[in-house]
Amino acid sequence: MEYLSTDKILVIDLNAAQVEEEELDESLVQEKIGGIGITKYLYDKYKEDDPIVIGTGLLTGTTYPASASAQITAKSPVTGKVCHCPVIYKLGVEIKYSGFDYIVVKGRSESPVYLWIHDGVADISDAADVWGKDVWESTDALRKFVGDDLLQTMMIGPAGEKGSDYAQVCYNHWTSPDRFGFGKLFGSKNLKGFAFRGMGLIEIAEPEDYVEHSLEILKAVKENSFLEKKGIAHILTALGEEGVEEWIESVTHRHSADYFTPYATNTALFLDEDPGLLEESKKDEPGVLVSDIYALLGFKKMGFSAVDAGRALKACAKYGIDPFAVADLCGKITLEEIKNSFDTISGAVAIPGRGLFTPWCPTGPIFNDFGLSGEDEIMAWWERRQAVSMIFGIQPIFSLMCPELTEESMLELASQGTGLELTRETLDAVIDKIFG
Amino acid sequence: MGIKINALKCTNCMACEMVCSYHRDDGFAFLSACIVAYRAKEKKDYFGMLLKEEDVLIVARPEGLEINKIGEEADPDKEADASAKPMLLREGCDLCEDMDDYGPMCVAFCPVDAITLD
Repeated sequence: MEYLSTDKILVIDLNAAQVEEEELDESLVQEKIGGIGITKYLYDKYKEDDPIVIGTGLLTGTTYPASASAQITAKSPVTGKVCHCPVIYKLGVEIKYSGFDYIVVKGRSESPVYLWIHDGVADISDAADVWGKDVWESTDALRKFVGDDLLQTMMIGPAGEKGSDYAQVCYNHWTSPDRFGFGKLFGSKNLKGFAFRGMGLIEIAEPEDYVEHSLEILKAVKENSFLEKKGIAHILTALGEEGVEEWIESVTHRHSADYFTPYATNTALFLDEDPGLLEESKKDEPGVLVSDIYALLGFKKMGFSAVDAGRALKACAKYGIDPFAVADLCGKITLEEIKNSFDTISGAVAIPGRGLFTPWCPTGPIFNDFGLSGEDEIMAWWERRQAVSMIFGIQPIFSLMCPELTEESMLELASQGTGLELTRETLDAVIDKIFG
Repeated sequence: MGIKINALKCTNCMACEMVCSYHRDDGFAFLSACIVAYRAKEKKDYFGMLLKEEDVLIVARPEGLEINKIGEEADPDKEADASAKPMLLREGCDLCEDMDDYGPMCVAFCPVDAITLD
């Protein structure tokens, strides 16, 4: 696959401690497009080995607005279904530029390992020095070892190592959209996680048309008045939750966006530092970055102050446990009780619809109504929108905000970028296959 | 005419870095950009932008701009940042002089208008 691609699929066999590369055939892109269209295909191909499949979207890391996302596809050890978890922040883009469009991890390692993927090279590395460490310590240790603070990680913490049903795969230092217990799956394979870094080059079949069309779409996107807002509190307000903006204001530092995403979907809370500080904090860990709006809301509804909610989220991020599950299921009332409850939580987090996509993402439109009405219509739209976002690599929350990111424009850019003719009929068939 | 950066409006999305590199490489990459999102202090939520012009390196910090003449001795009291080092090897900003339809790409593609033309 010459364009919009690294042309490589990485297949890692943890049983045999072997790494192989396969070419990404153009015919597979023509048939499955990309993202979860192909991760699902690879999952089915290797399903006897209980694989974890990581994949980028066809447009990930390009000039298409919000082309930020990659995906993890695997069987949830909690629900038993093959699920798809978005990879957000800057991590999805780093995966593609590290040299591989897709990564399949098969089997189980005899001893703890992590996978170091960089500039088209993949190493199975001994994780003895980070096994037992929390997510923050592990990410810091790997960045120090490699000597690069821009190393992007996908790590489990103690929750995953102990086999908790609520164990999350965390991204860098932060919680993730994982509500599927993928952290438990990583732990069961003795897989501490991944480290990614790369400075690759992605070629485009029709570069001038692709970039010109991207800019036209961006200009249309920027007409939306909701882009005057930033951060998680405004999303919750738009979803009808009252009082969040006032509650969180006193600890809000700044808002940041995933790669090329026009709305900043992440908010940093300063817990041990003046939130109004503009200079670099002299403290090593002044706060926490929050992308999980429902976990934050859950702690608010438990009566927590915004500071304590932030501390709970930070503790979850370090332990590598789903903060929404903690807020929803732990039944504890103080911060200390919550921190001590991580290993004893029980119960199930509801996964909406067909159970394929994460309820980390709101299950309906945000800021715009997309002309939808009725629960069934909204759920059908949401599942298709999630599937489309994860086929092309679009930030899945922003895609719920922005009608200008149409399926037609994604298909058109994908066709211009690859030189293939990708049609709505193909997209419909890919989605049907994902929905099973 | 030059690039003006408002680091407080920046959301650290890296669009500027991507399109600047596209202007150099005719492909999607981050390798050649003369403007980069400064994001090495992730746990401190401290970010802004670095812009290399022909003779100066502009560090757009949230608290204000810092303009360093390239070749001058660095302030010994300030810790050097690893992410600044590769910038010195890259070509300086040419305001995308060959991109007639766009002007500077980082200005055209910044989704939050944190980068403008001065």
